[in-house]
Amino acid sequence: MKKLLVGVLILVIFQWLGEFAAALLGINLPGQLLGMIFLLLVLSFNTSLLPWLESASSQLIRYIALLFVPVTTGAFFLAPAITGQFPKIVIILVVSTMLAQWFMGLIIKRVSNHSG
Amino acid sequence: MGDVLVTQILIPQWQLIATTSWPVLITLAGFVIGLWVYRRSGNASPFHPLMIATPLIYLFLQWIELDFERYYAGSGLVNWLLGPATVALAVPLSQQLRQLPALFRPLSIALLAGGLFATLSALLMVKLFGLDDRILLSLAAKSVTSPIAIGLVQQIGGITSLLAVATMVTGLAGIIMAQTIFRITEVEDERWQGLILGVTAHAIGTAKAFETSTRCGAFATLGMGLNGIWTSLFLPVAVVYFIN
Repeated sequence: MKKLLVGVLILVIFQWLGEFAAALLGINLPGQLLGMIFLLLVLSFNTSLLPWLESASSQLIRYIALLFVPVTTGAFFLAPAITGQFPKIVIILVVSTMLAQWFMGLIIKRVSNHSG
Repeated sequence: MGDVLVTQILIPQWQLIATTSWPVLITLAGFVIGLWVYRRSGNASPFHPLMIATPLIYLFLQWIELDFERYYAGSGLVNWLLGPATVALAVPLSQQLRQLPALFRPLSIALLAGGLFATLSALLMVKLFGLDDRILLSLAAKSVTSPIAIGLVQQIGGITSLLAVATMVTGLAGIIMAQTIFRITEVEDERWQGLILGVTAHAIGTAKAFETSTRCGAFATLGMGLNGIWTSLFLPVAVVYFIN
């Protein structure tokens, strides 16, 4: 329990660092993403924070779908101008995902043959 | 400097947390029911907790006549947690990056090209279908894992609720089609299958990859995390060319 709370606190501090840096330097990236990159950099040089973060991060990621519940519910309240376009939107999403998977497959076939 | 910290970061975050009230219980109850149905179904993707929880909550809100804005504000704590959850992605990502070196070159090529293709192909089709810019900005981050994607779409001015649905549809479509695509393109190596799942179908694809093997899941984690960073870098530049 103590580790979980300390872990969340570390995550929040890195989020603030990210938002602070984004606001101060005028970087066009979400602050929490910058915070994630900072933490990634710290962890790749020094792993001493890792034992404190493992429990908080695995719990948050495990139940991450919970965090999308309110925002996804909002989809039922979208304006008819947008919901009317849902068939087109679904076609776009399905086709572009399929093409991207196929394209990645082709690239991987090419580049992985060279390196064995 | 201290000003920026207080007015732009601490106060808005505190406001988000402070609006939390009883509607957060609706969110929790909906999710618990969704999770229960999903587990009972043997983790079948059409019964993803979000697919169950969100229509139930919608019906409940209609029934008690609570408008969406009040429900959303009342779930403030849950929305606020998206920030720390995004940062938390660094932990599995750093663990996977450690074991990478040998495949660095092919992996980066596949990742950079694949991530770019997944987004640009969607933006191009939005234009071809003549949909408006609000929709374009909302779909732009659809192959990125939701916590990152939501921040990104807020930044570029899209509709986060539309993005959330688009991300879910993308993830589900990705795992349904993946096996066929792997057969057609003859990608048999589990590591590459994992990477494709992570880049094109984010967290839903990653969960699926872990069902194949831990190695497959590890590569999906990498693909998802790195594509999140990569897309965030090129997207703000790319959308400019697609907007009228």
